[in-house]
Amino acid sequence: MNPLAQFLFQVAPYVLAFAVGALIPRRQGTPERVALGIIAALTVLLVKSLWPGAQVVDETVNAKEWPWLLSVIVFLPIFGAVFLLFMPRQSPVILKRITFFILGLDFLASLFLLSVPMTQGWHFQQITAWVPMFGIRYHVAVDGVSMWLILLSTLTTPIAAYVSFGSLKTRIKDLCFAFLLLHGAMMGAFVSLDMFLFFVFWELMLVPMIVMIGVWGGVEKVKAAYKFFIYTMSGSMLMLAAILYLVWNFTKLSGYPSFDYLALQHVNLPHTAAWLCFIGFFLAFAIKVPMFPFHTWLPDAHVQAPTGGSIILAAVLLKLGAYGYIRFCMGLLGGVAWAAAATLAGVAIGGGIVYGALVAWKQDDVKRLVAYSSVAHMGFVMLGLFAGTQAGMEGAILQMLNHGISTGALFLLVGVIYDRRHTRLVREFGGIAKVMPIYAALFVIVTMSSIGVPGTNGFVGEFMIVMGTFVSQTLGVQSRLQAGLASAGVILAAVYMLSVVQRVFFGPLSNPKNKHLKDMNMRETIAVAPLIAFIFVIGFFPNLFLNRVTDSVGAVLTHYEESRRAYMDMGDGEFATLLPRQGGPLEHGYPEAPGKADTSGQAQALNGGAP
Amino acid sequence: MNFNVLFAVSPILAVAFGGLLLMLAEAFGKPAAVALPAGVVSNDAGAGRSDELALGSAVVLFAGALISIALWKVGPEKLDGVAALAPYLIIDRFTLFFCFTLCLGGGLAALLAGGYLPEHNLDRGEFFPLLVFSTVGAMALAAAGDFLSFFVALETMSLGVYCMIGLRRGNVRASEASLKYFLLGSFAAALTLFGGALLYGATGHTDFQGIGEAIATIGKPTSVVSAPLVLVALGLVVTGLAFKISAVPFHMWTPDAYEGAPTPTTTFMAVAVKSAAFAILLRILLVGFGDSRLVSWGGTGWPPVLACLAVLSMTVANVIAGRQESVKRMLAYSSIAHAGYALIGVVAAMKSTQGASSVLFYMLTYTVSTAGAFGALILCGHRGAEAVSYEDLAGLGKRHPPAALAFSFFLLSLAGVPPTAGFFGKLYVFSAAVDSELNVLAVIGLLNSVIGAYYYLRVMVYMYFREPEPGAPIATPMRSGFVVAALVLAAVLVLAFGILPGSSLDVAAAAGLSHG
Repeated sequence: MNPLAQFLFQVAPYVLAFAVGALIPRRQGTPERVALGIIAALTVLLVKSLWPGAQVVDETVNAKEWPWLLSVIVFLPIFGAVFLLFMPRQSPVILKRITFFILGLDFLASLFLLSVPMTQGWHFQQITAWVPMFGIRYHVAVDGVSMWLILLSTLTTPIAAYVSFGSLKTRIKDLCFAFLLLHGAMMGAFVSLDMFLFFVFWELMLVPMIVMIGVWGGVEKVKAAYKFFIYTMSGSMLMLAAILYLVWNFTKLSGYPSFDYLALQHVNLPHTAAWLCFIGFFLAFAIKVPMFPFHTWLPDAHVQAPTGGSIILAAVLLKLGAYGYIRFCMGLLGGVAWAAAATLAGVAIGGGIVYGALVAWKQDDVKRLVAYSSVAHMGFVMLGLFAGTQAGMEGAILQMLNHGISTGALFLLVGVIYDRRHTRLVREFGGIAKVMPIYAALFVIVTMSSIGVPGTNGFVGEFMIVMGTFVSQTLGVQSRLQAGLASAGVILAAVYMLSVVQRVFFGPLSNPKNKHLKDMNMRETIAVAPLIAFIFVIGFFPNLFLNRVTDSVGAVLTHYEESRRAYMDMGDGEFATLLPRQGGPLEHGYPEAPGKADTSGQAQALNGGAP
Repeated sequence: MNFNVLFAVSPILAVAFGGLLLMLAEAFGKPAAVALPAGVVSNDAGAGRSDELALGSAVVLFAGALISIALWKVGPEKLDGVAALAPYLIIDRFTLFFCFTLCLGGGLAALLAGGYLPEHNLDRGEFFPLLVFSTVGAMALAAAGDFLSFFVALETMSLGVYCMIGLRRGNVRASEASLKYFLLGSFAAALTLFGGALLYGATGHTDFQGIGEAIATIGKPTSVVSAPLVLVALGLVVTGLAFKISAVPFHMWTPDAYEGAPTPTTTFMAVAVKSAAFAILLRILLVGFGDSRLVSWGGTGWPPVLACLAVLSMTVANVIAGRQESVKRMLAYSSIAHAGYALIGVVAAMKSTQGASSVLFYMLTYTVSTAGAFGALILCGHRGAEAVSYEDLAGLGKRHPPAALAFSFFLLSLAGVPPTAGFFGKLYVFSAAVDSELNVLAVIGLLNSVIGAYYYLRVMVYMYFREPEPGAPIATPMRSGFVVAALVLAAVLVLAFGILPGSSLDVAAAAGLSHG
């Protein structure tokens, strides 16, 4: 074929997508059309590059993993935040640009994560000694579980920043600082494989989040900030106690201290101690998720946080709880996690999916409603994790992405109407589809995704979770009943979401204040466009996302099963034991005893660092 | 004359000599004419000379810290004549670590005083020699290995502090604070002394080593040591020292004395006096009362008693601190709570070798964070309007971002938020407690740090989220190079111990004591 024709043939899909994105919107300016067109073209690029056929090329080109990549992703925003402190606050435009530039750069850097196939084991691993006396190392790596969550947050944080820059006019410096620090800390928590490092980043998230709630919140902002702080801090302190106990056991059994995740995975605790440690970890994560009955901080925090804060809170921060459960509760204390799963699944269904939905139904404030719908959606995620099956876990991870995208979009859209009317009460609205047609259309699309209508992302995730629950061995005889109840929860979601859509957008335009509302402006449309694109991309091509998750989920489940057996074999009154090492890619980077460090270093060097 | 001996005591000697020079300079120097407000006649030779004196005492104290480091590098065990000083002064790595911490704390307090005293019309020269001599007493206390030198050092340290509290002579609260601390302090010192006398009666020794060896013979047929007498003496000594570290229920003087004193004095009390008291507490308990029957969780041991003190100190102080209206008083209660955390480390020393080291490291991190927090509080006020209450600080984050930022930073370190020094201090203490299988104590400590975080957060809430009431007096930060220098130094150390704690942790581990 003629090279030119071949080139045109390759470029055609992008041009087409660009054209569709640029030409479809009505009554818009040129810059907006161009931006939307670029987003459409980029979506096509993403789908093409993720398509399984295309991966083979990438594998040969990028076989080498650059170990500094994760450090760059984590520390770029953190150093950016520190740098901003020394910038004058009188020039908000420069501050905004720097922030946005750093976040954008971080997003681009994180795209390199897609350059390698997520085979079993750790990728982009980097290990350096930090505090040798305690066995603390700087150990970061990604696998299929954390990779998508990182990409989700590098995508949503710039969006959240972009939205906030439009609506907030005061104290821009504090806002930029909080955004960058929060983003860096979240990235750090996702990639840390050292329990200590994880804890540092976990705590570091508190400060910027409090600043966001406390500075820009509404009437009860201080109360909400305190509530958020006390809840999360109590959780994390118990987690620290559990970490210290695990480390002490490891030190006693192996003769040298280590905070490394890979090392602590091998500690098999006696039943009582294991339960106490599990409670320590689980409370921290359950508060973050949040699971009933620890969810009460969430509506308060959401209602008080600015739109950008809400988006980050919903899209990424809540995921840390679920991620922590996969990584640490299931990874470190699999036996107890298995034993507790059936009960906790009941709580997730009763207190999360059903109760969350019912409470959401009764809310007057749209933002509060979305916050409670988060409780329900996260109930689904946790149910998938408790089920402990391949389908359930993959569904849960996908549902985390879905929830981040659709709830993030919902908060963004609620923020749009709040900026115009400074109220979010349902009874103030009605029939505004007549004055804001584009807004109404986008809202309905996102609602469909949130409910889980086939063709949108929500459907795939919830379907897989219910499937996984149905066949789950872990949940035992109740699994059928629980799957049935969870499906009923989907119907409840439709009830509360559709009723609010009906009351806000359709019917007569009764309130005269709504007569002259402006439709979505350029900034808002561009911000929401990538999220809308992802709703359909995940809805139609879920395999693009799942094929990178499968191997890691398999590894998690294998270890889960192993530690379950070890837990069953452990009798009452016995002492902690150390499970044998299996070797293989999952234990690459295992902390060796201090004396042996030199030889293992050489061995790693001989392996060429390839996992 | 063995020069090794001189070299071994050089940190203490250098500071003492510097203190003498400062005193002479203060006594024979000319009062500055410019600094006095009109109508005030001064017969005080050092008046208005704070700048020179503060700089001088800071140099002396930091030199003491540097000499301690130098001596550490040489290694005190390599100096063969050192044993000649024992048991009155024991120069080991434990002592040197505390010398460094104390000089650092004293130096920071001197820098703060250099800004604070002229700003608040307290520009009186005697403060600085007193501060330096108190530090000498504190260092000697950390080195003391005998009840005689212990008592002399304790009084050297305390007398200076009594005067520094009452520096604001006309002020009723300052006089009350000074008198209260003096009376209760003398009472506690008398109790300790009585304990020492009983021990001498029971064992025939005044040095800790000898007492420990005599106690070890209890239960053998040849022993003449009376066990009940030893227990009574132990109770008296612990009570006296619990007063100095201000552990609940011996803390009643702390809030009043801390609040009434000029803030640099408060800093010195919170930092140096407390550290020195912890040093001597560790040495007496681990050397003098290091017998395995006393270091046990059973009936006659001190660990359960100290564990009770630790739990009480943390819980009571944290709960009360949350209810305070004055930031200075809140910091006073917080220093009581921190004594409780450090006591966990003392209890942990019963089984784990890391216990004593964790206390050492905790006192170091606590010194830099607390000196920083009080320094930031000083920075937030100016003449006639010292920042004391939460309301004073309302909206400071908007009006004076650097002051608010500095304050927040040190409060975060006190709260134990990573990656600051305070976090590693807490982590070390709690992991030592877990090492000694004191899991419950560690969990109580961790939960307490949540309560603690609440009231530190409250300050930040006021600074960043609240606007001052219309017409209410608001704090305007002062300008002082001394205070800024102290804050920068403290901030650098807080960050350094927080991000790269490796080497300082190793040093603390090498400096630890163990019992038996």
